Amino acid sequence: MMTSLLKLDNVNTHIGQYHILQGVHFEAKEGEVSVLLGRNGAGKTTTLKTIIGLTPASGGSVTFLNQDITKKATYDIANLGIGYVPEDQGIFGDLTVEENIKVAMRKETDESKEKLEYVLNLFPDLKKFWKKAGGNLSGGQKQMLAMSRAFVNDSRLLLIDEPSKGLAPIVIEKVMEAIVEMKKQTTIVLVEQNFIMASKIGDSFTLIDDGKTVRNGAMKELIEDDELKHKYLGIG
Amino acid sequence: MDLIISLVINGLATGMLIFLLASGLTLIFGLMHVLNFAHGGLFVWGAYAGVFSYAYSGSFIVGIIVAILTGLVFGFITEKLIITPVYGNLVQQILITLGFMLVLQEMIKVVFGPNVVAVKVPELLAGSWQLGDIIIIKYRIFIIFFGFIIFGLLHYMLTRTKIGLIVRAGVMNSDMVQALGINIKRIFLVVFMTGSALAALAGMLFAPYSGAIYAELGMEFAIMAFIVVVIGGMGSFQGSLFAAILVGLAGSFMAYYVPYLSLAVNMIIMVVVLIFRPQGLFTTAKG
Amino acid sequence: MNKPILLSRSNIILFIIVLALVAFPFVMDSRTLTILVTQILIFGILAMSYDILLGYTGIVSFGHAMFFGIGAYCTAIMLSDFESTIGVFIVSIIVGMLIAGILSFIVGLLTLRLKSHFFAMLTMAISGLLLVVAEKWRSVTKGNDGFTFKAPEVFKDRVIFYLVVLALLVIVFIVLKRFVSSPLGRVLIAVRENEQRTKSLGFKTLYYKVIASVVAGVIAALAGSLYAVSLRFVNTSVLTMEITLDALLMTIIGGVGTLIGPLVGSVVIESAQHYLSGLARDFPIFERWIIFFGIIYILAVIFFPKGIVGTIQTKYSQWKIKRNQLDVAPLSKSKESSK
Ligand SMILES: Nc1ncnc2c1ncn2[C@@H]1O[C@H](COP(=O)(O)OP(=O)(O)OP(=O)(O)O)[C@@H](O)[C@H]1O
Ligand SMILES: [Mg+2]
Repeated sequence: MMTSLLKLDNVNTHIGQYHILQGVHFEAKEGEVSVLLGRNGAGKTTTLKTIIGLTPASGGSVTFLNQDITKKATYDIANLGIGYVPEDQGIFGDLTVEENIKVAMRKETDESKEKLEYVLNLFPDLKKFWKKAGGNLSGGQKQMLAMSRAFVNDSRLLLIDEPSKGLAPIVIEKVMEAIVEMKKQTTIVLVEQNFIMASKIGDSFTLIDDGKTVRNGAMKELIEDDELKHKYLGIG
Repeated sequence: MDLIISLVINGLATGMLIFLLASGLTLIFGLMHVLNFAHGGLFVWGAYAGVFSYAYSGSFIVGIIVAILTGLVFGFITEKLIITPVYGNLVQQILITLGFMLVLQEMIKVVFGPNVVAVKVPELLAGSWQLGDIIIIKYRIFIIFFGFIIFGLLHYMLTRTKIGLIVRAGVMNSDMVQALGINIKRIFLVVFMTGSALAALAGMLFAPYSGAIYAELGMEFAIMAFIVVVIGGMGSFQGSLFAAILVGLAGSFMAYYVPYLSLAVNMIIMVVVLIFRPQGLFTTAKG
Repeated sequence: MNKPILLSRSNIILFIIVLALVAFPFVMDSRTLTILVTQILIFGILAMSYDILLGYTGIVSFGHAMFFGIGAYCTAIMLSDFESTIGVFIVSIIVGMLIAGILSFIVGLLTLRLKSHFFAMLTMAISGLLLVVAEKWRSVTKGNDGFTFKAPEVFKDRVIFYLVVLALLVIVFIVLKRFVSSPLGRVLIAVRENEQRTKSLGFKTLYYKVIASVVAGVIAALAGSLYAVSLRFVNTSVLTMEITLDALLMTIIGGVGTLIGPLVGSVVIESAQHYLSGLARDFPIFERWIIFFGIIYILAVIFFPKGIVGTIQTKYSQWKIKRNQLDVAPLSKSKESSK
């Protein structure tokens, strides 16, 4: 049996006076890609933000590597080995590609340099625009930069929020290939609206609706369950 | 011609002092979204602590060091006791920093007495040079140089060091900086203390320049710094240098040609900037 | 929505307080005390006007002194330039309120669209600007030296002036109370709670904020007029940050968003100021009484952001809920046992 790296148990999150998450649970198993699905406004982004501690949970628990991280500060959580690629990519627009990556590199060891080498081979565009301001990159390049930035630290887990958003199909293809490649080195929790993509690279799925988990399971189950797909994703 | 040159020197010197005050304000604002209304209090504390230790020790350098240390200590206290408890609540922040300004200002009177204190320029920097018809006051040149050196140092720190990189990144997106594993609170504290030290240093340098200091000075200068921060763009370090020099020059020329308007002009510039370009003159609008 | 009940418990209490205040000068024949209480009432009016901004709309203005100062100067100038009669006094109040209203309208329109820290800063600067103008325009204001003038004959009797101020305070209180509980006032409170959401509900929040700032400015001018007459003297200190700070301290310490709070704050601050500066003759540290207020104010912002009245109100309603629960609990038990 594979161990679960990350576990959310009945997670509740309030933002201001709004009760956004009202019972999210799922597990991400080591080495897998777990996909979060759900319609717009379901609470997928908030789930990722809760894991990384930007919108801390008000109830339930988040466990990572057998540690309770529910109440930990964001930077502590990140330092435990969780990388975050936000929905808007969170690129520092006035910093160059190089500087964006430098901010992220917590220590410059041989290992982290190796990782950097690795992502630069994965995304040769970044090398090409090494000195260009992050704000001037194309949408796809920003996505690649954001993923590299999360990856260069020795992250055991990457949280990636809708990497395909607003990208041309051919670029999506590239990004997805990169995720498949990264999966060899790390565990991934992926938010993805594009069901075709999600079903191709996901191992397991979690369906979120109205801030609650409505179904977990292996991706295969979802692919075969037309009713579920229709009800919550409006497809099939 | 000689008049113009001395007005320019005047303006530059004032501009540099305002820059020292405004650069801290703008960095603190950019990174933490805290508009510190107590910033002027640190200016005046730097001036008094520095001047008194300068008088006591007889050494101007000791005065400067004490001023900087005062700024660091007060910055630490302010951040921990005043800013942190209300972090994220804009209205409370504005209210509390103004209250702290009041306390700082009155504390000056308790600790150092309520009277105006006269300050002499240190001997080495006293006097002036005569170049043909032009009289150049040494201390003003000193301030201009000192200001540019500090600007250079800060610029180097912001662009070439890791912590500077983090600060710049934090100005753009502090959540993301945290998500990359950096304790932003610690960075806040460092920036806050640095900004406070700069304010205190500005106060100390200002003291011999004006020749007299008093408790209300903080508020007066803080308003200038606010104006500069608005014109330069909140959070823009370079912007604050340009704007400070602009304000300094405008002030010096106005004071000579249209003294009635001198204070008004800066405020009018600020009002116009805020109304038509609230993001400041020197920053590009962020989309 | 609740219908306003004229004879609610709190209204009765207020009525008794007003009666006591009316009776006070006849019972206690003390000139200093009458003057002090007059001062408290005048600053109470100012603080209430500030509460409209801070407490009800969530706007932090650091320039409130400018409206107070306008009122003070209008009345002082008119009373000294024209005949010193009640008529001129009334006209001067109206003129002051008008000018303050127009100025606050313009300032508000230009600045209220900005974020709160910009607004705070800008009001501070504009009010600072006005102070500079007043200091330079010596032919009219006599600058920092100021000038004395004669108050209307009837006000020679301090008690009459006191009663006039008291009447005006009661009127202002009632008007403002109605204002904040009107539909318009509700929108202001919504702006304070969440401006973005109020905007998305289709309210032009700028428009409402401007109204709040005009109302606050006009009332502040009234307070300024009364203040000038109470001193029979005016100088540029009426335009300084100190006045704004007084209003701020009173509102925060008394309790924002309550209207009663600022009045309580005025009582606390004015009387403490009075007695502490008395103490200062023996203990010089009390000359710096403002430090104590500064510290209390800071602590209040952190620990009691609701102020005296707000905290009491919360405690009271908590207590009431508890009591109701206790009342209900045995009842439900008895029901159950009867089953
Ligand atoms: N800062 C906030 N304040 C108030 N409500 C918020 C905030 N952030 C998110 N929400 C609300 O929480 C709900 C979930 O938002 P979330 O961004 O997690 O959805 P999502 O599943 O990622 O949607 P999408 O597919 O559109 O990205 C939405 O209804 C949203 O309006
Ligand atoms: Mg989302």
